[in-house]
Amino acid sequence: MSWYWKEVNREEWMNPGHLACQGCGATVAMRLALKALGPKTMITVPACCWTIIDGAWPNHALKIPMFHTAFETAAIAASGIRAALDVKGEKDVTVLAWAGDGGTFDIGIQALSGAAERNENIIYVVYDNEAYMNTGIQRSGATPYGAWTTTTPVKHPEERPKKNIVEIMSAHRIPYVATATIAFPDDLVRKFLKAKEIQGTRFIHILSPCPPGWKIASDQSIKVARMAVETKVFPLFEIEDGERWTINYWPEGRPVLDYLKMQGRFRHLTEEQVDYIQRFVDHEWEKLLKRHQETHGSLPEEATVSASG
Amino acid sequence: MKKNGNPYEWTADEFPEVTVSFRDTRGVKTGSWRNLRPVIHDQEKYGPCSKACPTNTLIPQYFYQFLERGDLDAAGQVLLKHNPIPSITGRVCPHPCERACNRKRFDEAISIREIERFVGDYILDKKGQPPAKETGKTIAVVGSGPAGMTAAYYLRQKGHRVVVFEKDPKGGGVLRYGIPEYRLPSEIVDRELQALERMGVEFRYQTKVGKDISIEELLQTYDAVFLGYGAHLERRMGIPGDEYLMSGVEFLRHVNEGNRTPPGKKVAVVGGGNVAMDVIRTLLRLGAEPVLLYRRTRKEMPALEEEIERAIEDGIEFQYLTQPIKAEKKNGKIVLTCVKMQLGEPDRSGRRRPVPIEGSEFEEEYDAVITAIGEYVDTSFLPKEVLDDHGWLVADKKTGKTAIPGLFAGGDVVSGPATVVEAIGWARRASEHIHAYVMGEELQPQPLPKTVSFLLIQMEYFQKKPRVAVPELPVEERIRAYDREEILGFNKELALQEVQRCFLCGTCNSCGNCYVFCPDAAVEWVDNKPQINYDYCKGCGICSAECPRGVIDMEQERLF
Repeated sequence: MSWYWKEVNREEWMNPGHLACQGCGATVAMRLALKALGPKTMITVPACCWTIIDGAWPNHALKIPMFHTAFETAAIAASGIRAALDVKGEKDVTVLAWAGDGGTFDIGIQALSGAAERNENIIYVVYDNEAYMNTGIQRSGATPYGAWTTTTPVKHPEERPKKNIVEIMSAHRIPYVATATIAFPDDLVRKFLKAKEIQGTRFIHILSPCPPGWKIASDQSIKVARMAVETKVFPLFEIEDGERWTINYWPEGRPVLDYLKMQGRFRHLTEEQVDYIQRFVDHEWEKLLKRHQETHGSLPEEATVSASG
Repeated sequence: MKKNGNPYEWTADEFPEVTVSFRDTRGVKTGSWRNLRPVIHDQEKYGPCSKACPTNTLIPQYFYQFLERGDLDAAGQVLLKHNPIPSITGRVCPHPCERACNRKRFDEAISIREIERFVGDYILDKKGQPPAKETGKTIAVVGSGPAGMTAAYYLRQKGHRVVVFEKDPKGGGVLRYGIPEYRLPSEIVDRELQALERMGVEFRYQTKVGKDISIEELLQTYDAVFLGYGAHLERRMGIPGDEYLMSGVEFLRHVNEGNRTPPGKKVAVVGGGNVAMDVIRTLLRLGAEPVLLYRRTRKEMPALEEEIERAIEDGIEFQYLTQPIKAEKKNGKIVLTCVKMQLGEPDRSGRRRPVPIEGSEFEEEYDAVITAIGEYVDTSFLPKEVLDDHGWLVADKKTGKTAIPGLFAGGDVVSGPATVVEAIGWARRASEHIHAYVMGEELQPQPLPKTVSFLLIQMEYFQKKPRVAVPELPVEERIRAYDREEILGFNKELALQEVQRCFLCGTCNSCGNCYVFCPDAAVEWVDNKPQINYDYCKGCGICSAECPRGVIDMEQERLF
């Protein structure tokens, strides 16, 4: 029974003393990702929380090199580093682009799309906290329907659903696209280990809760992330070669309200809005199920069809 | 970039063209951000089971030794810290621990008693090491039942010479003479007593305090005296023909002394408590056809639910709302006149008071009638200053102290008839105070450990799993076998299966959640256990919120 997380090792590639807020999900994501990738890794980071978390110059929180780049260039800077390493013959180094949702969904998407289209040999990770948290919680393309941010205040909350970045990336027909979250460390680590072994552009979408931005207590980060998976708001799955869809975790299927009511940013929602979100989540889940079924022929026993059960 | 040298001594042209960090963040002591401090209370808290247990057995702690370390000897040692006779409580305890179990609100409570029985039996013949060092103090213990055995065990363990006075030819008190063989074989009692003898406890059998030796003599001869005898006297019904009715306690003693013939074929048992259940189930096993007469209904019965259910499974007839009012002897049979009752207003015990229905009297003929309507304590030989106005012995529930210095008491002798485990708890606490008294020490009051409530258990980390069924004799076999134990108990495999279900409330089993989820890498893993580095911990509380078993508490940081 002891040591739940069979995939997670106890090597540490992140130093304490970094500047993340209390209960930061992005930091847990980085820690776990590096445990999987190990020391032979280089990271590019565009403007995002992690530029701050890493510490003020001359400090640096990671035990591996990290390159701070401009907001829109994470993917292309990573491609450049990869090219340079290839020239030097250092094939065993993994190049990781580590960007927030703003730098991925909005500002960095052309560079990312270009890199993916050329199938650059990098791992691109978006740690998604669903708004521009670092600059003061402004809405981004990743902000879900109904959420409060400082630019979508309660009187005019977010009206559009979250951009489906995973479908966008899978449409590039890259070898590996996956979703992960910090509440499922084994799943997250396994996906990084798998991505490490694949050549070409690999894209991993990590939901990483942000206590100040989501208006949750700092100790609730993991619980909220887990609930996002259990309510099917953020299913865990992977797509190989843009075609083979596999659901990795079969949620028990709780109502989305369980997820929404944990967070202050959804406090203003009306019953109709919650109902809309539920229908939206159910619809997306059914689509996902179909794709899983197309790939695998059938659904496993633990599959539940509707989100509200 | 310059490869060597101290960057603080570089000149402007020695710096690289892009800014490069040359230091890690360990110099930033983010611990100063914290206002709540996570504190690891590994094995320092009570599970709800330990809190509910009258002797506060450290249940998750000994389960941990058994489950995680596979060390049954260590498990036994942890168990023995609070309960010296686990093989007995593992059979007869009403297990308040299981009613309090956090798992009960998830699926089903853990079979704590059956695991205790397994570990207790394992350790039974291994325990009983004499103390390493003698203190030279001598303590008299009156009674060799659960309270007496407990006091003797812990006082002898501390190195005192302990002499137990027992009025009967064999030790064990109610365990031997009160509890039937099918629940607790006397062989187990013998082995428990042998363990005490191995430790060097002296037994004086057939020595009745108050007759063969007085309390005053004991107080003069010994450094301290512990009264731990039981409630052996049966209340009488106080109805005409009372002298024809047999006492339940006496009947059980008679059977346990080896007399295995029932007093007749058709026997009535009057009462609804645990003794009544023991009497009637014993009668059935000896071949009689017993009937239970109880003046209220099943809901008001004071006996343990489990025992009532077992009696009903046995096929015993219960006549509720029936009160005997007269007994007569005719042709060697007893004619019992009873009246039917109905339930009225609740009385002081909260149970509805039975009221006779006028004109409902009826007669019934029995071979024998046994009453089991309550027991009381013989205090006739005790000094007057320790008794209250009603003639009851007064002793402090926490310390066992009476009005006479050096005279301590605990168990049924003070509380009236209660359970074995309550007697153990009382005697264990008293033994600490007796030790302090004879050594002339002052006992510092210990703060009560915190309890891990259901709210602290993180259900996400557990899977539902039904309770492991306890092997038992089939009903048709058990009702014919007085000398065979009806519950067969777990073997090691089943015990391990069941103990795996335990949440281990308040005991760290190195699951790694706090380490894996710490955003600040401030939980370090040392000797397979977490350790918090307070230099960097920002106090977010994730470790506490994700600890499946409530080990980590967030405590207010003291700034001044």
